[in-house]
Amino acid sequence: MATKDKYSVLLPTYNERRNLPIITWLLERTFTANNLDWELIIIDDGSPDGTQDIAKQLITAYNTKSQQRIVLKPRAGKLGLGTAYVHGLQFAKGNFVIIMDADFSHHPKFLPKMIALQKEGNYDIVTGTRYAGDGGVYGWDLKRKLVSRGANLFADTVLRPGVSDLTGSFRLYKKDVLQKVITSTESKGYSFQMEMMVRAKAMGFKVAEVPISFVDRVYGDSKLGGEEIAEYLKGVLNLWMKV
Amino acid sequence: MTRAQQTLSIGLLVASVYMVAFLGLAPLPAVIQNELIPVLPIWAIVSFGAYLLFKLGYGVLTFNDVPEARAELMREIQEAREELKKKGVEVD
Repeated sequence: MATKDKYSVLLPTYNERRNLPIITWLLERTFTANNLDWELIIIDDGSPDGTQDIAKQLITAYNTKSQQRIVLKPRAGKLGLGTAYVHGLQFAKGNFVIIMDADFSHHPKFLPKMIALQKEGNYDIVTGTRYAGDGGVYGWDLKRKLVSRGANLFADTVLRPGVSDLTGSFRLYKKDVLQKVITSTESKGYSFQMEMMVRAKAMGFKVAEVPISFVDRVYGDSKLGGEEIAEYLKGVLNLWMKV
Repeated sequence: MTRAQQTLSIGLLVASVYMVAFLGLAPLPAVIQNELIPVLPIWAIVSFGAYLLFKLGYGVLTFNDVPEARAELMREIQEAREELKKKGVEVD
């Protein structure tokens, strides 16, 4: 093997003071146990709760002279998820990029599986799915499940995307693939993750799925109001027309 | 070609084929022409609706709950907090 693989985790944060240290600990443990070269890029959007202080403490705790595992690249304010990834990508030294949420809904233990699957088929993207295989969710009541299945069914029927979990945001990308896809993306919010996947497939990239278990909202409440649902439906129809 | 263009093109094609049959422009057996063709659209819509409803219900019924995942996560959070405190990171 000429060049070794390095995995850059892009973690946009806003008020993740409680979750950040734990997710970092989980990432460090998983990567070390699997002998993988990694780095964590924290893109904090000016959190008022002191998330950046925690990030600096983590840097002191985990970084060594030879291995700058954790990097903090903050921004002045809430500037959106898409631009957070673009910002973080500039500093990513790895040839693979992982995007995930900071609130443990995406568990790092699935990363080795995603990485192994990627190597197996040289996939451009490996995405976690909550809806196929033994994927699942903890913490959703009947109503939430109904909304989720309904939303997925709607997107599936309208867009026929070929992935079982379209709004999932736990993904492993080849770095240049992410760069290409993200520059062509226009939406915000929920639609952003959907659009990335739909565009990636339209561009002909190879996508594989790994079932994941999604533990929702360990701290705090799950927010899914009528407005979000309306935004989502508009997002799907928008994609139907544009891609 | 966008998804919309694709869907609308296929829709147009199906509609044209149906119109040919509906207007009696193609030679069809009487039973099919008089009994089947007129109700085909409504039958297709109802069947599709029923299919979607079934998929939805099935999806909700077979939704995979993962309580073990949460239990495991809770344990890991505990472990993480202890180790992090030792390393001098604030955990609240």
